[in-house]
Amino acid sequence: MSRPCRVNVNGRIVEVPSGTLLTDAAREAEVHVPIFCSHGKLPPLGACRICVVEVGMPKLGPDRQPVLGAGGQPEIAWMPKVQTACTTTVSDGMHVLTESPAAVKARKGVMEFLLVNHPLDCPVCDEGGECQLQDLAFAFGHDFSRMDEAKRTFDSEDLGPVVKKEANRCIVCMRCVRYCDEVMGDDALTAHQRGVWTEISSFNRQPLECEQCGNCIEVCPVGALTALPYRFKARPWDLRQHVTVCPYCSNGCSVRLGVRGAEVLRARGTEFRGINREYLCVRGRFGYEFINSPERLSTPLLKLGGTLEPAGFDEAVTFAASRLGEIAAVHGPASIAFLGGEKVTVEEAYLFQKLARAVLGTNHVDSRTRWPAAVPGRAVLKATGGGRPALTFEELVHAQEVLILGDDLQGEGPFAQAQVIRGQHQHGLHLTVAHPRRVKLAGVKFQGLWLDYRPGAELPLLQALTRAALDLPRPSGLPAEVLEGLPALEQALAPWTPSRVEQATGLSMASIADAARRLREAERKAVLFGRALTEHPEALALLHAVENLAWLCGALSAERSAVMYVGPQNDTQGALDMGLLPDCLPGYVAVEDAQGRRAFEQQWGGPLPSVPGKTAPEILEAAAAGEIKALWIVSDNWLRSAPDRRLAEQALGEAELVIVNELFLTETARAAHVVFPASSFAEKEGVMVNCERRLQKNVRALSPRKGSRPDWEIFQSVAQALGARWSYRTVEDVFREIARLAPNYRGMHWASLLPSGAQWASADRPVVPGSLGGADGAGATRDEVAARAGGGAATDGAPSPSAPAGLVLLSGGVLFLQGSLSQRGSLLPRLARAARASLHPEEAKRLRVAAGEPLEIEGSAGHIRLPVAIDPGVPEGSVFVPYAHADVDLNRLGAPGRAGLRVTARRATELERIGAG
Amino acid sequence: MSASRGPLLFQDIDTPGLRSLEVYRGQGGYQTIGTVVGAKTPDECIEIVKASGLRGRGGAGFPTGLKWSFVPKGSPKPKYLVCNADESEPGTFKDRELMEKNPHLLIEGMILSAYAIQAHVGYLYLRGEFEYLQRILGQAIGEAQVAGLLGDDIAGSGFRLELHTHLGAGAYICGEETALLSSLEGYRGQPRLKPPFPAVEGLYACPTIVNNVETLMNVPHILRHGAQWFRQWGTEKSPGTKILSVSGPVQRPGNHEVPMGLPLSALLEGPCGGMREGFRVKAVIPGGSSVPLLPASRLDTGLDFESMAAAGTLLGSGGVIVIDDQTCIVDALYNITRFYEHESCGKCTPCREGTYWMSEVFERLESGHGRERDIDLLFDVSDNILGKSFCALGDAAAMPVMGAIQHFREEFEYHVKHKRCLVNRRRAELEARFGETAAV
Repeated sequence: MSRPCRVNVNGRIVEVPSGTLLTDAAREAEVHVPIFCSHGKLPPLGACRICVVEVGMPKLGPDRQPVLGAGGQPEIAWMPKVQTACTTTVSDGMHVLTESPAAVKARKGVMEFLLVNHPLDCPVCDEGGECQLQDLAFAFGHDFSRMDEAKRTFDSEDLGPVVKKEANRCIVCMRCVRYCDEVMGDDALTAHQRGVWTEISSFNRQPLECEQCGNCIEVCPVGALTALPYRFKARPWDLRQHVTVCPYCSNGCSVRLGVRGAEVLRARGTEFRGINREYLCVRGRFGYEFINSPERLSTPLLKLGGTLEPAGFDEAVTFAASRLGEIAAVHGPASIAFLGGEKVTVEEAYLFQKLARAVLGTNHVDSRTRWPAAVPGRAVLKATGGGRPALTFEELVHAQEVLILGDDLQGEGPFAQAQVIRGQHQHGLHLTVAHPRRVKLAGVKFQGLWLDYRPGAELPLLQALTRAALDLPRPSGLPAEVLEGLPALEQALAPWTPSRVEQATGLSMASIADAARRLREAERKAVLFGRALTEHPEALALLHAVENLAWLCGALSAERSAVMYVGPQNDTQGALDMGLLPDCLPGYVAVEDAQGRRAFEQQWGGPLPSVPGKTAPEILEAAAAGEIKALWIVSDNWLRSAPDRRLAEQALGEAELVIVNELFLTETARAAHVVFPASSFAEKEGVMVNCERRLQKNVRALSPRKGSRPDWEIFQSVAQALGARWSYRTVEDVFREIARLAPNYRGMHWASLLPSGAQWASADRPVVPGSLGGADGAGATRDEVAARAGGGAATDGAPSPSAPAGLVLLSGGVLFLQGSLSQRGSLLPRLARAARASLHPEEAKRLRVAAGEPLEIEGSAGHIRLPVAIDPGVPEGSVFVPYAHADVDLNRLGAPGRAGLRVTARRATELERIGAG
Repeated sequence: MSASRGPLLFQDIDTPGLRSLEVYRGQGGYQTIGTVVGAKTPDECIEIVKASGLRGRGGAGFPTGLKWSFVPKGSPKPKYLVCNADESEPGTFKDRELMEKNPHLLIEGMILSAYAIQAHVGYLYLRGEFEYLQRILGQAIGEAQVAGLLGDDIAGSGFRLELHTHLGAGAYICGEETALLSSLEGYRGQPRLKPPFPAVEGLYACPTIVNNVETLMNVPHILRHGAQWFRQWGTEKSPGTKILSVSGPVQRPGNHEVPMGLPLSALLEGPCGGMREGFRVKAVIPGGSSVPLLPASRLDTGLDFESMAAAGTLLGSGGVIVIDDQTCIVDALYNITRFYEHESCGKCTPCREGTYWMSEVFERLESGHGRERDIDLLFDVSDNILGKSFCALGDAAAMPVMGAIQHFREEFEYHVKHKRCLVNRRRAELEARFGETAAV
């Protein structure tokens, strides 16, 4: 396929790989061929015909040699008809004319046809000014219209709360219909009728039942589909447009903010920029409302008496610094803990931990506030291959086998889901989805293997997969440390006999072995995991198990294969990279490592604490017990994110000083003594690291909201007030220091991080060497290996669905909501509808509840009440409650145990009935 | 038994009770199942059909044997045979009579063709209006199944074939083979990109052969009597016979089977019995509404693929539409254009928008509001469709109009100038009775 072809486009010769489409070859030759129906993520269609060109091949004589005409040039046999450049692939020696009389007449003819029924309502069309039809009519059209008959007309239609359809403007390029089907996997749009009466709509002409992503609006080359939230808000030329990084999930899509004055009016993708190109999910496209929210904090707040009162910035800084100084002096630095930071920039995360370590002298730093288990800081890095090149989203599309462990990508990583769907649709990707619920990707439509393991059986499943992989041929290229660990692993996994696996997981060993075999045999593969494993009481054993499985299936040794951690927040990876971890300095340098620490001590000017600090769950316990006196919480609503709300409330109540950086007055901020108003992502510069480990630069689209400051300025002010000699003028200064100190970012240049940034990797020398099933680091003993790898073997199998102990609480993300930012607008909460507790029909029958009736769910520590939804995709013996809704505090129920959180559920009485909304 | 209506397919077509397996077998039907299926190799069958020179009777005239040989031999995918019985070309009604009167010949043809390409599933795609034919064919398929002529082990040969009928939803475009396949798969009936051609990637992306009813019905005769026997009719490049569906004011309209190459005038004079009294031929559309018309001066053209192409038109599906001297050419073409506007699938811009525009311009001409420039506009719009559309439907809409303007421009001009037709039988009659002003 890669044999080069020489193609002559308008006299200019370019060399392109065979199989290249003429449109792409023309772009190579810097010749503009217009397109409408053609789209980079969709297969060629050839419907709109605007890209017609003349194509010819050299005439061959009887000797199969080109016939030379006058002047020694080969004679060209031109094809009798013009050809569509978007469907024709090049061949060697091909000649293409885009400006010949025949090509020009054909193109002008098509342009004229496109305008036959297109209304001339450009002045009131949202697309006007950035409309491809307008632009091409300007470039190629006639300057007058020969069409003076009546145009055919349709009524306009609202397709739900985000899509407005104006069918008169439609040019039937079918991009929306095909994108919805092939990229989104939703199949929500179709064409009705035929001929000139072809009309795009939903199948039943009811509001769209889909992800509401609005990508159909994005790919529409005209104004036929427009965004209702943006309708009639602005003319595109009135907007300043800034391409920055989406603040929601860890996929890190580029988002183009349209700003007028100090207001963000819309968010869009950009066809040729970013990892996502035009793609955005519903949160990215419509979740910008919080930036403009009037509820934003506009002044620091201080709690001097019993209530929070507005204060000046300097006042708040002085207060915070003096209190921190006092507590450090009286109780020692170990009485101070810093939490959160998964949503701030890399530079801010770096300064946050530098403030903790270098200025205050504490290692109690952790961004992983949701994790219920104490896990070493490098565990995720090890599970993803210890710094070997990370997977790109483009590679994910072309993977042959993708294993998704426990995550519902629809909520946790919508772009990753779209890439997987496109791979499945266009490139023969096979999916294995391990999830107790029938999530979108487990649907029959995607023809994958659904491992619907018993809720809570994550570890037995992973051990069984690894057990099955042990029986397969070893992949080549395994490092020595991995091979050394094999005998111990085999021994540790020996107890996982098929019957035991089946008892524990509820799956047949054959289907597990099939999944392992597919992963092992695929040439290019990917393993994706996220919150389902890391926010599990057995997270450490699970992360080891992921690593074991990945090595044994070749996911960490084969080319273009990798393990990806789809973290919960937009800078989860950056926070880990920057040492928002109790045991690692930036770049995963262990705090005990005297040599590694020295570089930081020299730069930061003083000794650093060398004993690892407490992890987030340990800080939670310690603060609740009164051992930790001061807490600084950044970009995290801890009362909701901590695994146990009762403990978190206790901790905040006990602490002498709580500092919170926030955009809004959240529950956590209300419990604070000092609240700093932080700037939003759109108002500051900085680097974010996505789940590809790609560094991407946030661009400042707006001035900071009046009264708010970027987090790094707040940190610097407090550090200076504490006596530190920090003098960063810009974020770039901070980044330069990081690139000097952090081994994994060494050599990165601020200027090179636009537009789509660079992935960090330490391919030649992994940051953490590979080892099978071992403890963190190299020196694990055989026994430790066995103990860790065998984790989960000690449980007596997961509870059976009919056990009387109640239901297993299942939770997960939902598409329309993520974190407190998404709650602040009106559109996303409306799309998400009210939270419901989903039950299998049989379970609902057992509990004698019907859809919409209130259900009381009781855990060890408390109870919540929700209306019931019936969903056959939820397994029996469990209840699913999404964690994203503002009014559902799952951590009120108590901390989850080893096999998940067990709850009892009963129908609430009529008196307690709550709105079924 | 009535007189034979044709040399080959129509020879015994009017035999009473031919629809039943018994009568069909009595005429020698299904003999080939024993002599060909299992007895000859599939490749031998393809070679015989190639040697016979049989060409597709659906319109394009592609050599059938050659098409069969494109099916990849080593492909692990299942192969499919699809009979295109969507007969929807205006002026064409031959397949309908063939299937109505002789369904078993089609089934026999499908068994043999499926054997040649080694397909084990065959589909009969019928146009939506052929619901009654679905019943007839369904009955015949049932009879054949009971008799062991279809099923797992056809007549003990080890070859298996199942046949299904499928009713379209009433779209002209589904006669185009790739649109037919899309429709058969349950999608919108719209043509697909070629390549890949159906023989390589057709139904469900598997190798698929799509043949017309008449083509498939010729196959049993060829395999029974041999390639040379078949070549006794027709020309060197277009052997065999062709059934022509003649409409218009001739004495005997209807289906007539003639050897290929017979001059058009001989068809009109011979089997059709000449024009009805008071009518003269003005033009003939020889191959269904989608081909350019042939002026009366070219009636000597032979009814075969080559001669028709040389005369600037196409043999097409054999729908011979005779336009008489009292039919207004603008009226006739407006009628055809409206059909294409209605049937354009909407996939590509030139056909979707162009046919609508043409229809609107015609409407103005027809209603007496035409302007001088409209004739050139009509020609230019047609020209902008011709060769630029996704499939042949656009060409089909453009070619007749362009041909009509070239040959009968004066009738268009008359429409513009006098706001009425140059010729009109009703008006002529009125004028004869009441004087010229009466009908204006």
